[in-house]
Amino acid sequence: MSVTGAPSPAKWNGMHIKESILKSIWFFCAIFAVIVIFFIFVFLFWDAYPIFLQVGFWDFITGMSWNPTGNPPMYGIFPLIVDTLLVTIGAMAISIPLGIGSAIYISELAPARVKAVVKPAIELLAGIPSVVFGFFGLVVLTDWIRVTFDVPTGQTWLAGSLLLGIMALPTIISVSEDAIACVPREYKEGSLAVGANHWQTISRVIVPGALSGITAAIILGMGRALGETMAVLMVTGNAAIIPSPLWNMLSPIRTLTGTLGIEMGEVAIGSMHFHALFGVAVVLLMITLGVNLIARGILGRIREKQMPSGKKRNKNALSCAMDRSGWLGGVRNVTPWIGAALLTGLMFLFSRAGAAMLTVGVVGGIATSRKRLSSRLVQKIAFALIALSIIIVLVVLGIILWDIISKGIVNLTWDFLTQSPRDLGRAGGIFPAIVGTLYLVLGAIAISLPLGVGAAVYLTEYTREGTITRIIRTGADLLNGTPSIVFGLFGFAFLVLYLNFGVSLIAGQITLALMVLPTIIRTTEEALKGVPHAIREGSLALGATKWQTIRRVVIPPAMPGIITGAILSIGRAAGETAPILFTAVVFSQRFLPTSLFEPVMALPYHLYILATNVPNAQANQYTTALVLLMLVIAIYSVAIVIRHHYQKTLRW
Amino acid sequence: MAVQPKKTGYIVLGLAALLVLALCLCGCTQAPASAEKTPTPAAAGGIQSLSVTGSTTVLPIAQSAAEDYMDAHSNVDIKVSGGGSGVGVQAIGEGTTDIGMSSRELTTEETTKYPNLVVTTVAGDGIAVIVNPANTVNSLTLDQIKAIYQANITNWKEVGGPDETIVLIGRDSASGTRSFFTEMVLKKENAAPTMLEQNSNGGVLLSVGQTPGAIGYISIGYLTDSVKALDLDANGNKIEPTVANVKSGQYPISRPLLMITQGAPQGLAKDYLDYIQSPEGQAIVAEEGYVSLT
Repeated sequence: MSVTGAPSPAKWNGMHIKESILKSIWFFCAIFAVIVIFFIFVFLFWDAYPIFLQVGFWDFITGMSWNPTGNPPMYGIFPLIVDTLLVTIGAMAISIPLGIGSAIYISELAPARVKAVVKPAIELLAGIPSVVFGFFGLVVLTDWIRVTFDVPTGQTWLAGSLLLGIMALPTIISVSEDAIACVPREYKEGSLAVGANHWQTISRVIVPGALSGITAAIILGMGRALGETMAVLMVTGNAAIIPSPLWNMLSPIRTLTGTLGIEMGEVAIGSMHFHALFGVAVVLLMITLGVNLIARGILGRIREKQMPSGKKRNKNALSCAMDRSGWLGGVRNVTPWIGAALLTGLMFLFSRAGAAMLTVGVVGGIATSRKRLSSRLVQKIAFALIALSIIIVLVVLGIILWDIISKGIVNLTWDFLTQSPRDLGRAGGIFPAIVGTLYLVLGAIAISLPLGVGAAVYLTEYTREGTITRIIRTGADLLNGTPSIVFGLFGFAFLVLYLNFGVSLIAGQITLALMVLPTIIRTTEEALKGVPHAIREGSLALGATKWQTIRRVVIPPAMPGIITGAILSIGRAAGETAPILFTAVVFSQRFLPTSLFEPVMALPYHLYILATNVPNAQANQYTTALVLLMLVIAIYSVAIVIRHHYQKTLRW
Repeated sequence: MAVQPKKTGYIVLGLAALLVLALCLCGCTQAPASAEKTPTPAAAGGIQSLSVTGSTTVLPIAQSAAEDYMDAHSNVDIKVSGGGSGVGVQAIGEGTTDIGMSSRELTTEETTKYPNLVVTTVAGDGIAVIVNPANTVNSLTLDQIKAIYQANITNWKEVGGPDETIVLIGRDSASGTRSFFTEMVLKKENAAPTMLEQNSNGGVLLSVGQTPGAIGYISIGYLTDSVKALDLDANGNKIEPTVANVKSGQYPISRPLLMITQGAPQGLAKDYLDYIQSPEGQAIVAEEGYVSLT
């Protein structure tokens, strides 16, 4: 189609029809997210209903014993709920101080050259697949905990919280860093001009100014920790007990997600136990949706109060926010407490007995000495703590990468990459797993990219903000907060059983596509919003139709943003295990799949099985982990480079 | 801004994906009629495929036999996957696989739901009670094992071992191995809730090998040097969990391992099952550490 000056009336009509058809297609794409979340609910409830009928919803969630195959069977998930919350709280206690400290360092203290290295490094941390964390935790961390704390087993709440804390860090750091970077420069300059030093400015102006964004970051990180499956089930021991005493971090625990991960595979379909597992999924979904709705509420409040800010950053939906309502006045001096918590956490790692005393000491010390210490000394201490937090983050990242690379590289041969596995994966290579992963990911993107881009086009170009867009955005956000194991369960219940696809490539692709859809919608929306309104108006004024404008004028400059979103989704889909666990994978096959209805091998699942099911496969475990890590990190690096380049070069 | 004509690809892609989705959503009826899946030589350029799914205990046998069978028949692709006994039974019942594997008998729920399943016994298996090699305990009675798993005995010194807290390691509640262990050793009573749960034989092996105070139970096919298998003490007789003792019936904690088909096995499935039951196949069973049928 070419843009013509003055179309004839007949042509107008044709165009008009085409425009409406296109509009309805985009609308369908947009409403799709809402349909999916609705479907997930319906299917999970459908399969969970019998257990609620038999046990009663209240008894189900307050029952103290989970033993579905016991005599008599017990279906009480209270311990699972408590343990899920405990492991999340523990993770947050680790990742909040480290995350906020690192974010302050990156946005306020880091020299440009350091920042250029540290920021991508932390983004890479986000790319490490859950199953790789779990593998590292199982092989290295649990043993270290057992020896260090001299406990019978290292498979504990502490192990789970440490891993989840590390996994939630990238989310918390990057979102907080955005929030901090968005505090208008004038505030900072004003504060410095009236004689406050750098630390006073950070602690009393910048952080409070960014606190709502930081809160949102924490809640998002929490959502990530709540829904995590593979890493947790590999390191927590999965004993369905409430720790006694309640703060005993060295007790084994069992989370809702872990229960689904280890039992769903072996349960007899249609039995009460099967329905009980769907009941667990329903409760998990309710908890995560609750957390997400709270996050939305907070963000909504922020958006209402949003002010135009000095800096234009094209990054994420939590764009620059300022909350000046004063409800945060009380936590003006929040950072020293963060420092204290950090120090306590560290001490806890070295000696448990001293930790409590130290906490009291440090907290008391900070509370009283703030009045007396010179501001310069306070600044020194604070900056030291902040630097310490970023160092800890980087060291942890280094330890994990070093462990996997140094032990994995030994076996990494060309044959390993190009041959089929033999002897249960103890010998031979992982070629079919690599190809299977690529098939899964490409299929997922082929399904989710058009839908996601269509939805974003509808949301940004065709509608004004109103009830419909609110519903659609809520749907997309809820989908975004749904734990990956719930997608896996939905794929299993709907695609594998109800539609009778069987365990197949297509079921895995659709499940993964649903999982990454919200990411694609959000990144595309951001990219489209970054295109100035003036050029749209210019295009329309020259007589182009709405669709011509979108296709020729709006989408091309937004392409880098869209591509970045797609690549990030590819990376996430490539590393996920939980969604494909029951929908798409087999442990081994010699040939590549020839149709969409055949199952495939996949790298993350292969690693999971090698680490948990196959004895004496240490060498290949590490090499598989390394290959998976390299694949995902390569994908993420491309995305980071594209985005970086695009942020530098785009000038309107 | 330069205009690139490439962008039309998006619309095509979008429409294509929508079409596919629409087909998926309305075409439930067109899902592959899998109940009577017989491998057709025409498919995939003459490659016949067979899928085997289920119990992690039977998996090593199925996998090794499949590898040897494929070496002998280059046009055959046998895909083996785990998941567990429940998955195996369900997959064969629903027709989503060609052969299911199970390390337990079918439950009444399963037999009523899928009446025409046929069970083939491919091997026997004993369940060994294992401890860490550092543990000085060499044998336990069934009663002691029961007391340990019910947390009535919580320290190794109570059964003549070192002064060390016992770490219970068991299988997830959906496991065939666990239901068998519960029946045979715990006399259908519940294990203590403090038991750590692993969802595979390999997982139990790994944890017990890593944890000095641990006790666990696994299929004898999975035994390695990383753990110590305990002898069963029956009235002063110490019975080792060996293949020979299981075969002779002296070692009591034993069970058959099953492969399940829809109706009597046919075609490639029959050929493969025959191969496992043949002397070569049973040699593989023995090699993997299980109990051969003959």
